[in-house]
Amino acid sequence: MTELSALYQAVVLDHNRAPRNRHEVQPHDGEADGNNPLCGDWVHVEFRLDPAGCIEDIGFNGEGCAISTASASIMTEVLKGRTLDEARRIGERFQHLVTDREAPLAAADDPDLEKLLALAGVRDYPMRVKCATLAWHTLQAAIEAPASADSE
Amino acid sequence: IAGVLPTGVGLEYMEAVGRERILAHEQSLLAYANERLAEWDDLRVIGTAPGKAGVISFVIDGIHPHDMGTILDMEGVAVRVGHHCTQPLMERFDVPATVRASFGLYNDRADVDALVDGLHKVKSLLG
Repeated sequence: MTELSALYQAVVLDHNRAPRNRHEVQPHDGEADGNNPLCGDWVHVEFRLDPAGCIEDIGFNGEGCAISTASASIMTEVLKGRTLDEARRIGERFQHLVTDREAPLAAADDPDLEKLLALAGVRDYPMRVKCATLAWHTLQAAIEAPASADSE
Repeated sequence: IAGVLPTGVGLEYMEAVGRERILAHEQSLLAYANERLAEWDDLRVIGTAPGKAGVISFVIDGIHPHDMGTILDMEGVAVRVGHHCTQPLMERFDVPATVRASFGLYNDRADVDALVDGLHKVKSLLG
């Protein structure tokens, strides 16, 4: 059993208390809703691309536990300025980080991703993995189904 | 049959203790828990019908029950968190989920105190 502080790290607590980018993105190029029906958590993610195809703005709204709120908040911070391809790759990397106990706890190749490591403690709590990955799965859906395909 | 035999032993044990005594014990723990939890202004008890069984469900403003469950677990306190298979009731009370502590004949007042101590930990982390 790991320490409480390994799961609820200061970075996680901070993002839960004061979520970043909790706002609408208008107009946007992609959006999606995500739900964890078993725990009642929901999240909405929107993003807009700049002419170069990089994420110019990304925001979320939602309701959930500290882990899911912090994860959505950190995700939006990390992904600003990234291309959708990069976002997808970072999402896969995050999934690996929170599910594989052997996944390295370092991001030397891309220091901007260090923030994600704050959520690595989730790997020791299988019940909470879904909390951490909800926003990322939702973003994935938003990338696959751009707003132009949606009447709303 | 492997399930029936232990149930019989369990029932014999309960009958030996006495159902009235078990009920009285659970109710006294419930009363004590209600008293201890009443100290918290931002804690709302869900389900306050008179004569209810020895369980107490509650929520705390601004702290998700699943976070409470994980932290209490790490503090050695076992509670159930979630919808308790009563999603329409959760909507009725406008809560995402609740934390539920249950009392049995194997619990005592120290367990209630451990719950309260655990909630202090929850508040110090997430409050």
